[in-house]
Amino acid sequence: MTHFPLKRFTVSGNSMLPILKPGQDVLVWCWFVKLKVGDLVAFKKDGKGMIKRIESFNGRGIFVSGDNESGSTDSRTFGPIKKNQIIGKVIWY
Amino acid sequence: MKLINFLIKFLPTKPIYAHCDIPCGIYDPHAAQLAAQTVLKMVQKINELDSSASPQNDNLNNRNNFVRMVKVKEEHAELCKREVLILWTDYFKAEHLEKFPDLHDLVWKTTKLCSDNKRAVDEVKAKELVEAVDKIADIFNQTKK
Repeated sequence: MTHFPLKRFTVSGNSMLPILKPGQDVLVWCWFVKLKVGDLVAFKKDGKGMIKRIESFNGRGIFVSGDNESGSTDSRTFGPIKKNQIIGKVIWY
Repeated sequence: MKLINFLIKFLPTKPIYAHCDIPCGIYDPHAAQLAAQTVLKMVQKINELDSSASPQNDNLNNRNNFVRMVKVKEEHAELCKREVLILWTDYFKAEHLEKFPDLHDLVWKTTKLCSDNKRAVDEVKAKELVEAVDKIADIFNQTKK
């Protein structure tokens, strides 16, 4: 769990268009997050923060994808992510 | 909402990536070579099936095998094209082109060969594809030295 429950991030890239545009701010809630399909989540991947939408849950982990599928590298490429990679859930954008 | 917009600016921010491509730096021509060899193998197997074809053995199993071989040939020709194009667009840089000025032409011809091998069952074209991909792999390996 992170020290502060609310984090501000600034979006970089096009994979979440049209909902999230590059340069746009998002607020992420990091404490006691209950995840469900359709949630926008911030997570860590290879030391970098990424933002995608939860597409499904399965035995292998959480499958995330970009809204702009043709311009997204996501679970279709790097596979499902684990719960402990999740930074938090986007609560405002 | 305007108040939130104002207050949010006081929070520290970090970039969060919604990028279309992670610059992972992992490139390997082996996937393209395997795909090209698979195309050649499928062409040879389709030809074997064709040369042994007769009304007596025109059964469901043989037809099933034929369809599967064509499908694998099609998929691996596409995979080969994709892998070669990834090397071309993401790995090779201007300095590589200076050293290997034929690279653009080689990639162009190789991807055309991928399409040729989808369209036809032609062992000569399949062998040309394997040789062309091997040349690209050789250039790739030289850039790593």
